[in-house]
Amino acid sequence: MAMYHSWDSQNAWLRQIHTHNYLFLSPSVGASNGFGDGDWIWVESAHGKVRCMCRFSEAVEPGTVWTWNAIGKGKGAWGLTGDANESKKGFLLNHLISEEIPSQQGDYRYSNSDPITGQAAWYDLRVRVYKAADNEPEETFPQFDQQKRVPGMEPERGKWQAFVRGLGGKS
Amino acid sequence: MTQLALVIDLNTCVGCHACVTSCKEWNTSGTAGPMVDRNPYGAEPTGTFFNRVQSFEVGEYPNTQTVHFPKSCLHCEDPPCVPVCPTGASYKRPEDGIVLVDYDKCIGCEYCAWACPYGAREIDEQQKVMKKCTLCVDRIYDENLPEAERKPACVMACPTSARIYGDIHDPDSDASRAIADSGGYQLMPEWGTEPANHYLPRRKVSITVHEEDLQRADNPLNKEDRGQRKPTTRTTLDDSTSW
Repeated sequence: MAMYHSWDSQNAWLRQIHTHNYLFLSPSVGASNGFGDGDWIWVESAHGKVRCMCRFSEAVEPGTVWTWNAIGKGKGAWGLTGDANESKKGFLLNHLISEEIPSQQGDYRYSNSDPITGQAAWYDLRVRVYKAADNEPEETFPQFDQQKRVPGMEPERGKWQAFVRGLGGKS
Repeated sequence: MTQLALVIDLNTCVGCHACVTSCKEWNTSGTAGPMVDRNPYGAEPTGTFFNRVQSFEVGEYPNTQTVHFPKSCLHCEDPPCVPVCPTGASYKRPEDGIVLVDYDKCIGCEYCAWACPYGAREIDEQQKVMKKCTLCVDRIYDENLPEAERKPACVMACPTSARIYGDIHDPDSDASRAIADSGGYQLMPEWGTEPANHYLPRRKVSITVHEEDLQRADNPLNKEDRGQRKPTTRTTLDDSTSW
């Protein structure tokens, strides 16, 4: 478990461990849906859909999928460049998950979170997966306009960086 | 003769990469550094690491295991990277068996990387010299550190104590005992390189679960008589969701 959440992408060393994520699923799910290991696929819920790369894993129960959460970033987010792997190949499952569950009892809509803990509902989402068309771009969907660097942010680092204790990072 | 080495327990490694980052933290700032990164915040970032963790899956669902396999220079007793070096930059220290590279002599020809059957060497793409694990040679003899900390940074960092450091030629060292007790093995011994680093093989573990163990005698729901509560007729959250 080398990655916990989004902020590891700010660290030049940690982001080399996982610069982007895959959707992990059983090989049998790929076989029955007509795609192979590493293919670009769509994962779609009632709320939205995401294009991503899949990775077969025998450690995943057939019929379920998982991924490292929040490696996917918008272009330019988190101080990364617009072409960073996090935005081109990384994806965020949040696009599949509604913040509220369908309305009931009049117009009141409950938060889509665990009623006991308040934890966001991540584990009960039904999705379907299918192969992306050959003519689709090999990047994750959705993509967003590049974020501007905000005032006070340091300029983009150069091509090379070496950290030396006491000196900090230098380009 | 002393042969310092790491013994890595594949049963307890959880693949957290703490050894990877602590190694880089120590060594980039020490005599073996710097360890540069290319495109640190851009596309396809890459950099020099002396230690990496590879993860493998074994078996088929549901009998699957994930094996996390940390790998760094194995400090071979007969290192194939040394005789191929045209400048003598790659050498093995006779006093403790550590294999090192003298950056001042290295011309970056990468013969040693070709000779190493384990892929343990990494060319520094900026300085164009070969870099590799030093077994924290600038740490293990540092008398400014407390004696308990005179170990490689990766050993200090490992949260599950999966990494054991010691002299494998001393039969009483922790490393030698771990090898003897748990059947420690070398990687690809058929190459005759006699790697000093050893791995402790994964053991099959089993547990017998008895039927009565599955019933929790002190289940608080039983104490509250939850089973006898009248079912509500009002619509609840459970009725409108799919869980």
